[in-house]
Amino acid sequence: MSPRAIRWLIVAAILVLWEVLPRIGAVPMLFLPPLSTTLAAAAQDWQAYASALLITLGEVALGLVIACGGGILAGAIVGAVPFLRRLLLPVFSSLYAIPLVILYPALTAWFGIGPESKVAFAGVYGFFPTLLGTAAGIRTIDPQLLLAARSMGATLPQLITRVILPASIPTVLAGLRMGGALVIVGVVVSEMLISTAGIGYMISFYRTVLDSPHVFAAILLVLALTLMFDALTRALERGCASWRQTA
Amino acid sequence: MQRMADLNVAETPAATCAVSLRVDALSHAYAGHDVTTPALADISFEVGSGRFVVIVGPSGCGKSSLLLMMAGLRRPTAGRILCAGRPIETPDPDRIGVVFQEASLFPWLTAAENVAFPLALRHTSRAARRIRALEMLKLVGLDGFGERRPHELSGGMKQRVAIARGLVQDPPVLLMDEPFAALDEQTRMTMGDELLRIWSQTRKTVIFVTHSLTEAVYLADEVLVMSARPGRIIDRIPVDLPRPRTYEMLGGAGFAALRDRIWQQIRTP
Amino acid sequence: MTAALSERPAALALLRLAMGAAALGVWELLPRTGVVDPMLLPPPSVVFPALVTMLGRAPIRSDLLVTGAEIAVAFLISVPVGALIGVLLAEDERLGAIFNPLLFFLFGIPKSIFLPLFILIMGIGFWQKVSFGIFSTVLIVILSAASAVRSVRPEHLTVARSYGATRAQIIARVYIPSMLPILLEALRIAIIFTFTAVILAEMYASRTGIGHQIAGWGENFMMPSLLAGVVALSVIAVVINEAIRMIEHRCSAWRT
Repeated sequence: MSPRAIRWLIVAAILVLWEVLPRIGAVPMLFLPPLSTTLAAAAQDWQAYASALLITLGEVALGLVIACGGGILAGAIVGAVPFLRRLLLPVFSSLYAIPLVILYPALTAWFGIGPESKVAFAGVYGFFPTLLGTAAGIRTIDPQLLLAARSMGATLPQLITRVILPASIPTVLAGLRMGGALVIVGVVVSEMLISTAGIGYMISFYRTVLDSPHVFAAILLVLALTLMFDALTRALERGCASWRQTA
Repeated sequence: MQRMADLNVAETPAATCAVSLRVDALSHAYAGHDVTTPALADISFEVGSGRFVVIVGPSGCGKSSLLLMMAGLRRPTAGRILCAGRPIETPDPDRIGVVFQEASLFPWLTAAENVAFPLALRHTSRAARRIRALEMLKLVGLDGFGERRPHELSGGMKQRVAIARGLVQDPPVLLMDEPFAALDEQTRMTMGDELLRIWSQTRKTVIFVTHSLTEAVYLADEVLVMSARPGRIIDRIPVDLPRPRTYEMLGGAGFAALRDRIWQQIRTP
Repeated sequence: MTAALSERPAALALLRLAMGAAALGVWELLPRTGVVDPMLLPPPSVVFPALVTMLGRAPIRSDLLVTGAEIAVAFLISVPVGALIGVLLAEDERLGAIFNPLLFFLFGIPKSIFLPLFILIMGIGFWQKVSFGIFSTVLIVILSAASAVRSVRPEHLTVARSYGATRAQIIARVYIPSMLPILLEALRIAIIFTFTAVILAEMYASRTGIGHQIAGWGENFMMPSLLAGVVALSVIAVVINEAIRMIEHRCSAWRT
């Protein structure tokens, strides 16, 4: 049997177990509600989930501006200027080791428990990895292309707009994909910790009332969001990079 | 072996006296941590209009650096380069077209757009650019390949596009830095013939850098032999084999003699 | 000038130190000049003494120990288990073909959102945090170990075999040295993941641990202690990271 088939079998088996094990009492329903119950909970309260999702998405959007907008720009500059790169990249790489979640209580103290602190946290959370990734990607631009353009008399603005910018698109999109995933996680986690609204808040809330089906449903929703975002950005990358040479 | 003093005579056919490119007492040195490394030493030569000159030398002799200076992409520490009387200090795409070893085509543009790129920098109208680009592609034998992207082209085709791009603004001088080095032997031979055909049709002044002795003798009107670092011109060899050059000439005594002469100069330390 | 500067590591280090000092200076000035409310952002001259006091107090020290223990245990379980699974998957082609896409898929899923589940099922004790730490880390160890095995060049194995090396010798003299750089890198990243996961779990719901303390200080607006805790943990994280980096560097000098 092909590996692919085996994989699908495994996935199917998991889904079946998910439904059956709690129902026959092998696993307490508190720990693992049956799949059908989870989906039913989601369907039943879809309005609450939808409005929570909207709030979360709003925070994600703003977080993206900070993390990806800032991270890609800063990463491009740091990656392109050798002096800055040698000076700053090791610093940023070391800072990456810090568990940024410890900043969140400070952010809530400063910005309150509303969306601002979530946006701030997710923005910072996504910023550094995006910067590091973009800086690395910028260096893959073939310097020969710049030489060729200069030999044709391109001015500096022309070099930037006609060579560097188009050549950076794959790196930028990869940065968007990576940063975006982190922003989503950052928003949801901060909503889980201290919040009054959003999908993360729902996960926490339903946990405190021991409502497993609703907790699981919310988690599945976040997973779906993450996967859709990933699929979207990958499709975008494929579309824009039809000219990419295979090394 | 000709003496240095004899090398400054311009060799041009009697019909025209135009000198296309002249290098004057050019030297170049790299500043290192605590030493200065000489790279090029006192190079002077002239290239007549419409001539096909090949510069050949061992690896690291600085021939590519020399070409970059002729293209205005690098400044020598001493000396100067003149094209049709005017000094070259920055890239001058109107007078000088450049073809690099790596075709360096922009992967996000089609072949036609790549060829038209220098015109786009000058804000030529899109229609005019396109016509000219297709014209050039036809010249290099790529009629109908305009809409292909670089990753769809073979190595030889990419270099043809690069040549078309170098010629698109009709510069009188074409500089070529080992353009066939990355190609396999058979493609090199084909491309050599193609290049000579294009040259005979357009009568540009071509300065071609290579490390292949065979290629040098096959293509050139004259061969400038460079020494190892610090590079200097140690010989200037006119190649009086008849044109058009043919594959059969490669086996002839005249060809072998010329190639030997080059090799004797280069291998002597 | 900048080109020359970037060649001298000592100059760069000095520049970075200067930047750090400047940052501290700005931090000191902002609350002192009233640009920022000093209650919200106490200056370093307040935070650092608070840090010193904090470290002197027994409850804080025991919290640090608890956190440290959770991280250590989670790490010490994740690494061998993950490495074993990773090596297995890389060695057995069939298993690898089946499970690799699944693993990559799982890697793309954020693990932090499952924390409430762990609390639901296991409560808020020591082992819940350890389990969550393992959950967050084991996957990256598996993927790194598999990648490390795959990085061993078949040519090197062929050479060893052609000289009659036994299985044990091949493992010790070819596999391990080849894999070392990637494994060390994996260790460094694993520590970061475990650290982050355990702190998150403590901040979310716990009765002990430094993460729990930080969350408490935040809730009660005890800003000097909060910032002291942030600084302390950041320094610890960076120091561990750099220490492993240095070892990595030592062992990877041959790597192209």
